[in-house]
Amino acid sequence: MGLSARLLTLRRSPVLLKLPPYLSAACIVVGVVWLLLLPLNEYSRQTYVSENAILPGQVHTYFGGSEHNVFRAFRQEAYDQKDASEGHRNAVLGRIMRESGLKVAEQPYSYYAAGEEIAGTNVYGILQGPRADATEAMIIMAGWKNFEGLVNYSGVALVLTLARYFSRWSIWSKDIIVIISPESTYGPIAWVDAYHSTSPIVTATQNISALPIKSGALQAAVAIDYPVGPWGHRFDKIDIQYDGLNGALPNLDLLNTAVSVASGQMNIGCSLHGISGHKDSYNDRLRTIAAGLATQSLGHATGPHSAFMPYHIDAITLKTVGDGWHDEMSLGRVTESLIRSVNNLLEHLHQSFFFYILLNANRFVSIGNYLPAAMLIAGSFTISALALWVQSGRAPLPEKTPAQPTDEKASALPPMELVKAGPDAALVPKPALQSVDRHLFLPALTLLSIHLASFIPLYLLTHLPRSFLPPTLHALTALSLLLPPTLSHLLPANTRDLQTLQSLSLLLLSATLSTLATLNFSLAFLAGLLASPLAFVRPCRSLPAAVLSYAVLAALSPMSVTYGFAAWYWGRGMGLEGVLAEFARGWEAQGVWTMGVVWCVWWPAWVGGGVGVWGGVFGKRT
Amino acid sequence: MKLRDLLQLSSVLALFTLSHASSIPNQEYSEHLYLKPLANDHLHADFNFTATTPVADYDAQHFRYFPRSLAQILQYTHTTELHLRFALGRWDEEQWGSRPRNGRREGGTGVELWAWIEGQSEEADERWSDLVNSLSGLFCASLNFVDSTKTIRPVLSFEPEGTHPSGSGGSQLLHGMLPHEVVCTENLTPFLKMLPCKGKAGISSLLDGHKLFDASWQSMAVDVRPVCPSTNSRKDECVLEIQQTVSMALSIPRSMRDRHNPIPRPPPIEEIECDDSKVWNGHDTCYPKPSTGDLGWSLAKVFGRPIKGACPLGDADGAGDISLDVPLERTVEAQGSASSETEPSGLRKFSLQAATDFDVVLPRQDTVSSSSSTHPPLYASRQMTGYGQERGGMHATLRNPHPYPQKIVYLESLPWYLKPYMHTLEIQHGNIEKMFYTPALDRVRGTHLELVIEIPADSTVELNYDFEKAILRYTEYPPDANRGFDVAPAVIRVLPRNVSDPADGNNQDEYLRTTSLLLPLPTPDFSMPYNVIILTSTVIALGFGSIFNMLIRKFVLLEEVPASPLKTKVTMLKEKIAALLGKTSKKGSDTKPSEEPGPAAVIDPNAALNGSTDGSALTNGSAKLRNVKG
Repeated sequence: MGLSARLLTLRRSPVLLKLPPYLSAACIVVGVVWLLLLPLNEYSRQTYVSENAILPGQVHTYFGGSEHNVFRAFRQEAYDQKDASEGHRNAVLGRIMRESGLKVAEQPYSYYAAGEEIAGTNVYGILQGPRADATEAMIIMAGWKNFEGLVNYSGVALVLTLARYFSRWSIWSKDIIVIISPESTYGPIAWVDAYHSTSPIVTATQNISALPIKSGALQAAVAIDYPVGPWGHRFDKIDIQYDGLNGALPNLDLLNTAVSVASGQMNIGCSLHGISGHKDSYNDRLRTIAAGLATQSLGHATGPHSAFMPYHIDAITLKTVGDGWHDEMSLGRVTESLIRSVNNLLEHLHQSFFFYILLNANRFVSIGNYLPAAMLIAGSFTISALALWVQSGRAPLPEKTPAQPTDEKASALPPMELVKAGPDAALVPKPALQSVDRHLFLPALTLLSIHLASFIPLYLLTHLPRSFLPPTLHALTALSLLLPPTLSHLLPANTRDLQTLQSLSLLLLSATLSTLATLNFSLAFLAGLLASPLAFVRPCRSLPAAVLSYAVLAALSPMSVTYGFAAWYWGRGMGLEGVLAEFARGWEAQGVWTMGVVWCVWWPAWVGGGVGVWGGVFGKRT
Repeated sequence: MKLRDLLQLSSVLALFTLSHASSIPNQEYSEHLYLKPLANDHLHADFNFTATTPVADYDAQHFRYFPRSLAQILQYTHTTELHLRFALGRWDEEQWGSRPRNGRREGGTGVELWAWIEGQSEEADERWSDLVNSLSGLFCASLNFVDSTKTIRPVLSFEPEGTHPSGSGGSQLLHGMLPHEVVCTENLTPFLKMLPCKGKAGISSLLDGHKLFDASWQSMAVDVRPVCPSTNSRKDECVLEIQQTVSMALSIPRSMRDRHNPIPRPPPIEEIECDDSKVWNGHDTCYPKPSTGDLGWSLAKVFGRPIKGACPLGDADGAGDISLDVPLERTVEAQGSASSETEPSGLRKFSLQAATDFDVVLPRQDTVSSSSSTHPPLYASRQMTGYGQERGGMHATLRNPHPYPQKIVYLESLPWYLKPYMHTLEIQHGNIEKMFYTPALDRVRGTHLELVIEIPADSTVELNYDFEKAILRYTEYPPDANRGFDVAPAVIRVLPRNVSDPADGNNQDEYLRTTSLLLPLPTPDFSMPYNVIILTSTVIALGFGSIFNMLIRKFVLLEEVPASPLKTKVTMLKEKIAALLGKTSKKGSDTKPSEEPGPAAVIDPNAALNGSTDGSALTNGSAKLRNVKG
């Protein structure tokens, strides 16, 4: 009895309304600290292969011997095509595949995004397993140009040699599909879309031809990236790339198998995200987490493997890095052993984790351990939203402001009322007991229109030709900075309406971020972190305070983050135009949601926060 | 006098028997092996074993060449005609041309069975069930899974090959397919055991599980049909014919690998023919030249053993037991044949001798005139489109490479958990003339779809329809639930172009089948029943126990605990026994009647509530307040 009474009286406690900002801050701090704790051994686990059928590294690999001579010949053939036209090159590669007994076909495709056309023709071949029943297939592939734009001679040659080598075996329970795409991003996307016939209709942005020949359901894909010409180059480690579109990840078993085969059976070290010299210290693990967070939140393709994740097909890219003494035969044996393990599978990979963060090639954090970080940050918005909602339902106590004309003298107390609860009695100011109606129409309408208006920047930044993109961004920045003061000036809103508006906006933001955390943890985490000032802004009375709050908000706005991102990429020769074009291509051609999250979820919340800030200066008084 | 009469009688009888002997058919048996090298270093071998038995002998259970085990099954289930197929692998139509025997002796991947069974619908269903179960036992295949959910009654796809007696009540055609059945040696062994020579002599001695199941394509077929000279001949003129066919396309280099060293290791560089025309050809760079010419092979190397003589049963007509279809220029050496013939087209015929091993050796030869392989009537493929666990689409591509239009019957038997939407059925560049459709009933029967499609000359027809996937009950999933479920191949019957002239050689209808498909269905989390049981049990164990205690438990002084009736009786019994023993042994008894209640005194809650404190339960011990539990 006493507990419930105490809880009820707590409702009227003034401390309750002062607490939420501290709670929000605590949530954000705990969320960030949570992420920083993950590299420790107590919060992560060693990787292990869950699917018993895989038996990684148990087969003896026979790739070698005269296959090396054949590989050199194929690499030389590929090198001879370096200046040839795409049609001629595809004809030569197709001929090599046909001579190995594969059924070969070509697939032209074209995408149109950011005012330019990305076109090419994939050439692929299907090795029909002699005793297979055509119901399943696995893929080995190489892009003619790898993700950095270097020509992938050895990768292509290795894939062709492996195809010829595999055609002599009769142990395949699945068909093997060999794909050579012109480059590493859009070719595989077009191929796998056409395989599942998801975009058969020609639109303004894409024209993907249907595949002439197909096989069964795809189980796994392995891509090889080894951009070395006929002069050869021995490598030191294999960098395993595993990020997919929109932050989807392959089944951890495929990665574990690759690591187990490479480091266990072949004694080739494995690295992630290109981080060489990983000493397994706290700093290195944190660096790996940060790199993983960065690629996953951007959600763009990082190699040929990324295209397969949206279709629930597990895929990885094996990329050679460093100078060492491993050569193409070792890489071929790694791929052979990996394909043999995938061949063993009876069911689609389902046993191991689909959501994980890797600390190094042998340690991971599972979703139960890292998800609370993003949820707490989203939760900080919920706490603020609820606090604002409660505040908006209270008649405000008259405050002592010199500029405000009051009927009563400033020193007079507001009318009081006696409240009894059992043996206790208290004097409570009357306004605190009054309940007032919230006006929902205006805040809801404002929020809805801001959200609808957010499609304009999204459309402009994804559909205009690339030379127009930087001016558009500048214009959008200017307009976005002017929009909140203008809106708050135009809207007939008093403090309570602004609080309702902010509350609804923050509630929507937090709900969206919580849901997004289950799909793309990194994007939700980073977006929540960058949007965190929104939980603390309140309507400011004085102009200097408003300007200061607005400056903080503008520093962490979608526009400024885009500029910051472009500045960081300046060193890589991309510039603002390149970065914006890449974002546009990601949205249009690859189907990446990051732009949508930034402009349709974060930007409206930002504008709502800005309206809240300026509403204190321009808005009506109660 | 008597002797003359006897002789007359016997001669008359002999003449009578002889005159009728020709009209009563005999039990016959013949076997034939057809070999043809295919493109891409493959060899097509077709083993055919045909046995006939007159219907009179069949009814009288007198079997000589006809396998008794199968015959008894057919008699018991009243099966008029039976076609059973075991198939594995794919026939490469682009390289090898049209299918052997027009595709009439092969089935879809896995097991396919269709039969004409006498009786009305329920009778036929029961007999069908008996038939599949008996055949499942006979052939060690899990044919018993062909139940009502996998059985359909095709309308246009199959015609009887034999002459069905018109007098009987009418036979029903039932058809079932098992696409996931793995065909293996355990199916080959009963097949061989049904042959008269049982795989020990004759061409069946070549059949070995290791080589047969390493083939790129193989099909085992059992066809039983009644053959009558004309449609209204008498019953005793008809014979029942069983044809057992094993057809395979072997990869010659793979089959010739030594059985004790089967791993295809990369050959030494000296054995690879390098393309010298390449500029960069050297000692460490070798572009492999595509092989030209014909590989050398022999029967013993390809099958692992030579033919062990002729099967002495059955009549040898001199028709030749082995045919080798090679061009005339190809060198062929035969060893151990009784006779050999060469036809002008190059076809070699050999006949076997008893007790002599037979082998055919074809040495390596450079390019001979390639025999033009015939275009198959149709190229067909079928795939599923879409992704996800809710819905998908079926897409079939039928390509007609000939300059004349073709009419086909397209038969699909879909499982009930694949629910097609017929209103989304669309066809491009062709037209559907007729459609037979039986919708599915959950867990009772699957979808039966038969379309008569006209394909124009030199064009490709695409067939599309959407479907939805069902969610199964969790006990209906197989152990490898995440693999998916198999959808049976589509059967395509290419109708003969000239129906008017049945004698025309081009006039047979041809069959081809697409590959089977894998349908991924949404799978539940199979650990959930365990989780629910554990959680519920824990809640009950902890929660129920605590709450029950809180409600019922009452603390009483130890002295107030009433004694249980059982304990009182036991104590009395002990005293009696002690007294009895004390009387007989006359020893000083210092046994006190034990009256302390045990550490767990059983208390009746009702009694406790009623507050009945039995004075007899008072102990000598100290009154301790103890927790009394039920």
